[in-house]
Amino acid sequence: MARLQLPAIKRDPAKILANGKATAPPVTEKNVKEEKAMSINVGIPQALLYHEFGELWRNFFTNLDIPVTVSGATTKRVLDRGTSLAEDESCLPLKLYLGHAESLLGSCSHLFVPRIVRYHRDFFLCAKFAGLPDIVRNTFGLNAGQVIAPNIDGYRPLCRLGAIRTAAGAVGRSLLAGAASYRRALQTWRQRPPAAGGPAVGKVALIGHSYVLRDPFLGGEIIALLAARGVATVTPADLDGKAAYAETRRHAPEVYWQLSARLAGAACHYARRPDVAGLVLVSCFGCGPDSLMNEYLEQQVLKDCGKPYLVLSLDEQTGRAGVATRVEAFWDLVERRRRQ
Amino acid sequence: MRVTYAHMGYMNAPVRHMLESLAVEVVATPPVSERTMELGTRYSPEGACLPYKISTGTLLEGLDSGADTVVTMCGAGKCRFGFYGTVQKIVLARGRKIAFHTLDTERLLTDLYRFLRQAAPAAGRLAVAKHIALVIKKLRALDALNDAKNFYAPRAANPQRVIDTCDYGAGEIAGSDDFAEVNSCRELVTETMRSYCRAGAHPPPKVALVGEFYLLLEPYANRWIENALVRQGVEVKRFVHTGGWAYAKTLLQFFGFFDEEREYLAQARPYLNHHVGGEGLKSVGTALWSARHGYDGIIHIFPFGCMPEVVARYALKNVAADYGLPLLTLSIDEHASEVGLATRLEAFVDCIKRKNQGSRL
Repeated sequence: MARLQLPAIKRDPAKILANGKATAPPVTEKNVKEEKAMSINVGIPQALLYHEFGELWRNFFTNLDIPVTVSGATTKRVLDRGTSLAEDESCLPLKLYLGHAESLLGSCSHLFVPRIVRYHRDFFLCAKFAGLPDIVRNTFGLNAGQVIAPNIDGYRPLCRLGAIRTAAGAVGRSLLAGAASYRRALQTWRQRPPAAGGPAVGKVALIGHSYVLRDPFLGGEIIALLAARGVATVTPADLDGKAAYAETRRHAPEVYWQLSARLAGAACHYARRPDVAGLVLVSCFGCGPDSLMNEYLEQQVLKDCGKPYLVLSLDEQTGRAGVATRVEAFWDLVERRRRQ
Repeated sequence: MRVTYAHMGYMNAPVRHMLESLAVEVVATPPVSERTMELGTRYSPEGACLPYKISTGTLLEGLDSGADTVVTMCGAGKCRFGFYGTVQKIVLARGRKIAFHTLDTERLLTDLYRFLRQAAPAAGRLAVAKHIALVIKKLRALDALNDAKNFYAPRAANPQRVIDTCDYGAGEIAGSDDFAEVNSCRELVTETMRSYCRAGAHPPPKVALVGEFYLLLEPYANRWIENALVRQGVEVKRFVHTGGWAYAKTLLQFFGFFDEEREYLAQARPYLNHHVGGEGLKSVGTALWSARHGYDGIIHIFPFGCMPEVVARYALKNVAADYGLPLLTLSIDEHASEVGLATRLEAFVDCIKRKNQGSRL
């Protein structure tokens, strides 16, 4: 089993100055063969866009008979490790990502960290997704071979093919095998069953990124708090992507971040829907797009919709009690409004 | 039409002169100050970055002095800059009736031309084109003066004299109406600055200044960091220029001669391998270039929470460690104080000077 090294490696400045590159072991035919012979195990951190595309990525590798390890659910330890590894101004989800990535280093030969710049014609993702593989490499001192980082920077099929080639090539598979595996994985991913909702006393829309809401440590807590009072929740993920983007184009055409466009579309939609009693904007401290989007949504959508809303900002110091108090107060407000 | 626009370093004076020459009424706003910052902070979302807050502040000052037309810039990309105008419009238009013009940096030349034609209907096409060319010429001359100041001041017996000469020359160039006059003025002032240099002195330590665009260009935001460094006898090289940027974004880009992205990508490898929006790639690329070209230290300056620069920070940490260079990271927000910054700069300069002495022994 090949194991990744923690960043204790001492770099040799002379060597770097000589060839202008970070030190990497020389690539010889022998090395390549050895690497092929070693068992490959791909690690995927369960954070950021894993919450959106995790199943697709996992199936892509398992279809190619490559063992995959997914880091476990977020714990306090993961958060603490991530906080100490990350640069202090990084957003909370990025800190979690680094914590998850570190937990995989000991048991995996490769890390899968895709660079997702854009995959929709009209929208971009935020800068941190475009730089994610570099962040991971710079934080842990990994070389290029240890991080599988396909570039996804376009919406055309050719770009997708290039990404498949990078990912399949990194684990020693051909482009053809990779494309077939991707196709099958995509089909399974598209047939995800929609989340089932039980009977509820009311419905609240949580507007937040999927990597915040689906993380049991962050948004999971809010969902559980509301569920304990018998309140059902809907999230932007429950709304069809196309419908959400169409809504955004109509009501907020200036938005160019893809994830924010999804949230804006969902906010407009849920603000209109009669069965949604209130809206909660959930964001993380340090999120660049949210810092302006929340203001925009508040002024353009929420203030005029006549429904109670709450803006919650989470950070690594957030206490459970603080969130609970605010969410409970918010629900009391919703109930009082409904009684009137 | 009474126009106001956001300040950015020495861009203000030439742009104002251009508008006034075309008979557009400009509302004069004071340079960025503590009041601007307070005003901007009060009317901005808490988590917005510093350039957003300062530009909101200057625009509000302009509107309070009677402006009715706001000109802002925006650029699509991964960074927040592209979304400034949309959110600012909500705050600025509250309780007022204003016209809002947004110039897209991706097509700056055509947007600027169209705006000027609309704002100055009496001026001919040729006059508008001439004034755009003149303002770019002036801004590039100001870039050259600033670079010359950063080179000669640390070599002079009295750096303050060089700084004063540069400021005086900048004022002369901003008010000039003639291409040849801009050239001769630039040459004269540069020559004067050079005459203050001591002959045969040790070459001063060199520091590369990298980071976010606005923070590098607006001296109030970075608390006159360049002047503070040259006064302590350190040569400063700043890699972002107002005029160079305007030139690249208007003329070069318009005629398709320019691909900044490819150039900096080649420089930044292997620490950063993709464009991350804003100045992220450029910060890493130029820092790496300086590390390979004998610079003694790197100063990275950006607004608190800046998305591209946070990505760049991960890379810069390793660049500094691999090349054994001192790195000072300055993350600036509205609470930054001049004294706190000065202390850190002095400590950094001491560190560089001591390191150089150690290597000379």
